[in-house]
Amino acid sequence: MISLIGFSALCLSTIFSCIVLIPKSILQIEIKYFLFFIRSSTFLVCISFLSLIFAYVTSDFSNFNVFQNSHSEKPLIYKITGAWGNHEGSILLWVCMISIYGFIYSLLSKSLDSFKILVLKIQSGLFIIFCFFIIFTSNPFLVNSVMVEEGLGLNPILQDPALAIHPPMLYLGYVGFSLVFSLAIASLLETTNDRMWLLETQKWSIISWGFLTAGIALGSYWAYYELGWGGWWFWDPVENISLMPWIAGLALVHSLLMIKGEQAIQRWIVFLSILCFSLSILGTFLVRSGILTSVHSFAADASRGLFILLIFFVTTGFGFLVFLIKSPTKKNDLHLLLINKTSALIINNILMMIAVLTILIGTIYPIIIEVLTNTRISVGGPYFNSTVLPILLPGFLLMSIAPVLSWQTNKIKKFRVYVICFLILSLVITIQSYLTIFNPWGFVGLLLGSWIIVGSLISVILRYKFSLTSKYLKSINSFTAHIGVGVMIIGVTYSSVYQKEFNFNMKIGDEVNIENQLLKFDEIKIVDQENYQSLRVVFSLTNNNEIISYIDPGKNYYPVSKMITTEAGIYHAWLKDIYITLGSETDNQWFIKVYINPLVSFIWIGVFIMIFASIVAVIKK
Amino acid sequence: MNRTILITPFIVLTAICLFFLIFILLEKNPNDPPSALLNKTLPTFSSINLYDKEETYSSDSLKGKYTLINFFASWCAPCRAEHHLFFKIKKEIPELYILGFSHKDDLDDSKKYLEEEGNPYSYVGIDRDGKIAFDFGVFGLPETFIVNKDGEIIYKHTGPLTKKIIEDEIAILF
Amino acid sequence: MKLQFFFKIFYIIFFSFSLYANESIDNKVKKLTLELRCMTCQNQSVYDSDSDYSKDVKIFVKEKFEEGLNEKEIKKILTKRYGEYILFKPYFNSKNLFLWLFPFILVILSMIILLKNSKKTKR
Repeated sequence: MISLIGFSALCLSTIFSCIVLIPKSILQIEIKYFLFFIRSSTFLVCISFLSLIFAYVTSDFSNFNVFQNSHSEKPLIYKITGAWGNHEGSILLWVCMISIYGFIYSLLSKSLDSFKILVLKIQSGLFIIFCFFIIFTSNPFLVNSVMVEEGLGLNPILQDPALAIHPPMLYLGYVGFSLVFSLAIASLLETTNDRMWLLETQKWSIISWGFLTAGIALGSYWAYYELGWGGWWFWDPVENISLMPWIAGLALVHSLLMIKGEQAIQRWIVFLSILCFSLSILGTFLVRSGILTSVHSFAADASRGLFILLIFFVTTGFGFLVFLIKSPTKKNDLHLLLINKTSALIINNILMMIAVLTILIGTIYPIIIEVLTNTRISVGGPYFNSTVLPILLPGFLLMSIAPVLSWQTNKIKKFRVYVICFLILSLVITIQSYLTIFNPWGFVGLLLGSWIIVGSLISVILRYKFSLTSKYLKSINSFTAHIGVGVMIIGVTYSSVYQKEFNFNMKIGDEVNIENQLLKFDEIKIVDQENYQSLRVVFSLTNNNEIISYIDPGKNYYPVSKMITTEAGIYHAWLKDIYITLGSETDNQWFIKVYINPLVSFIWIGVFIMIFASIVAVIKK
Repeated sequence: MNRTILITPFIVLTAICLFFLIFILLEKNPNDPPSALLNKTLPTFSSINLYDKEETYSSDSLKGKYTLINFFASWCAPCRAEHHLFFKIKKEIPELYILGFSHKDDLDDSKKYLEEEGNPYSYVGIDRDGKIAFDFGVFGLPETFIVNKDGEIIYKHTGPLTKKIIEDEIAILF
Repeated sequence: MKLQFFFKIFYIIFFSFSLYANESIDNKVKKLTLELRCMTCQNQSVYDSDSDYSKDVKIFVKEKFEEGLNEKEIKKILTKRYGEYILFKPYFNSKNLFLWLFPFILVILSMIILLKNSKKTKR
């Protein structure tokens, strides 16, 4: 029953969206009816999605999707999040968001009616394409042909809070770019109030980028504590796929800053707007078509792959064709000096685009080679580390002084202050490196990260002094964001370069000394949880005979799916993480791996600062 | 000049999509990479007969006939699933020499397995330590190779065989 | 711009220091197996993986290092059997030339174009 409601709502929603696409020559719709159909369409698709959630919550196994992905013994929260933890449900969520973004735009936009309608039409077009995809290949409302008592259960790895919220966050980012895409296409088709369109693009691209940052960070954090591999970024194809629109979105946000200096390159902004959403769709295609090996693949299906490929080609092709035909021909009077703000932003754009291209080609190169030569190669972490990082390096350097550059001149106020501080900083870090362990990458990363922070702080102090008003926060926002990046760079450098690893074979009562702290194997705990059985080795961490914390790495056994997962035990401190994984056991001796990850917290802190900056950027003064 | 730059994204898009399309249509399996030894001479090996400790079979003996090589083990469930298909192959292509390798398996377990499921192999060799499989680039059981008269590997498949695979991919080689 | 050049020199000098390290066999095994794909896993390295296959490869790599082979030779043995697919870092051969070179060529090209355009503005 609920499946019928859900499916009907979806179909009706699609029909309503089709109605608004009827050209004016056949049927003239007044704006108030137009908005009625669009908003009802959103309302209906939300009902559709809520019906799916309802089916999960009530464990309605007559719905095939619920049957495949859920189980009555799952905790309620994971029943709900299970709705989007599979291919069909997640695409329905995606489509919901396309519609919701259009809805919010229809309420908030201050553009002329004719422009608004055009944007909403394009947004509806995107909505309809994906709805067809759902209805014809990925229907979550299929009914089970057999009567069943119980579901097939969800992958235990997905029963996790961070992973539950990671897809919605990510989609809010990816799909937000759909609105930016629609805005860009509309601006090409109808030359209008340029100023308003650019400002709206700025707002929506910052919002999308902010959500995407949060989504990627959640996924990364989840990988860190859940997968038990000790790392948080693996240049896995699926991670690369999310990184590309993120970098492109960042380039877009930076390019839009040029509005302020009257240097905005409209053509370039339009291109980036189209590119961001295209990369989002490309990402969806690569993940769901099953053509890449990744930790993250959905169950693949050739027909689905082909359909999304078609969507990707049609949508992106349409975007690029309109761009080709209707490209704005305004000649830009760019004031390029070496080095003023305009050229810095252009260098930034160039480097980011090359980074995106490198990640793109690196990720799909194996596919190209296999088609051409029938041999398979891998392009993994080492490749991207050797290419993308050096490319971004000059960008990071530029970041430290870019906000203080002038639009007009290539002079920097109080340049000497910066030079002196940089030299002092290099000296301090060089001394520090020689006193501890010297590592060239560590040195570079630390110098870069700290220089970005120091440089930004100097700029803030010289220009704005200190105050705690929202106006102040807004004016130093670019510095805040960059400081966030600097903090993250320090975290990334330290936790990778200076990571220490120790292997032990321990039994109950054994003690080891790690960095002047004692780790003692206290006991083994076996606990029966609602849907799994957990085995934990409890370690106590003591410093000078005072217990600081308990760390409990272990394994979970899920009886329904018969899977065993390794759960890392982590002790988070501001300056380091102690990360322990449990290996196999022989004769009561357990193989224990202990990682000391210094300054990992800085990575999450840095990201948090970046997201904070994006929120400040969107809030009005 | 301008038009050329503006049309580049569209051209790149079309090229990329073309590659994706071909990849999907070729039904490439991410879990079954093409063999590194394709069209190369098979690795040299010498393997003791599972049923006769005195008898060995070496790679030289494979010259002059078509051979199907299958790596299996009693503990490998998919191997059991594909096992009956070898009888079918034997019937349809009688001149094909079917060589089986008992891979990292207890010898008695292997013998029992072949008793239960039947023995379609012309020869069952022992690969207790996995060295022969390693030389063939085997990483997961079952894996099947086809070697031609000149001792070159012309086909490899990782994972269990199915009727469809035999009809589409193996039968056409003969 | 001058700063960036200066920096690149710094970077090259300090990087060369790391080449003089004398590593233990276990470190060598760790370094190499981090770059090898576990063929039975979903995109994990041999070093990170606990699978039977990875355990075998780790033992093999250690044996070869103890025999005195270097990283390049061991990689050659492995790629002969498993193909270049097992290497996370693609070889620098004719097939992969485009892959390795295009980012840097693009950077250089764009810098040249940018410099040319900024000179135009000065006039």
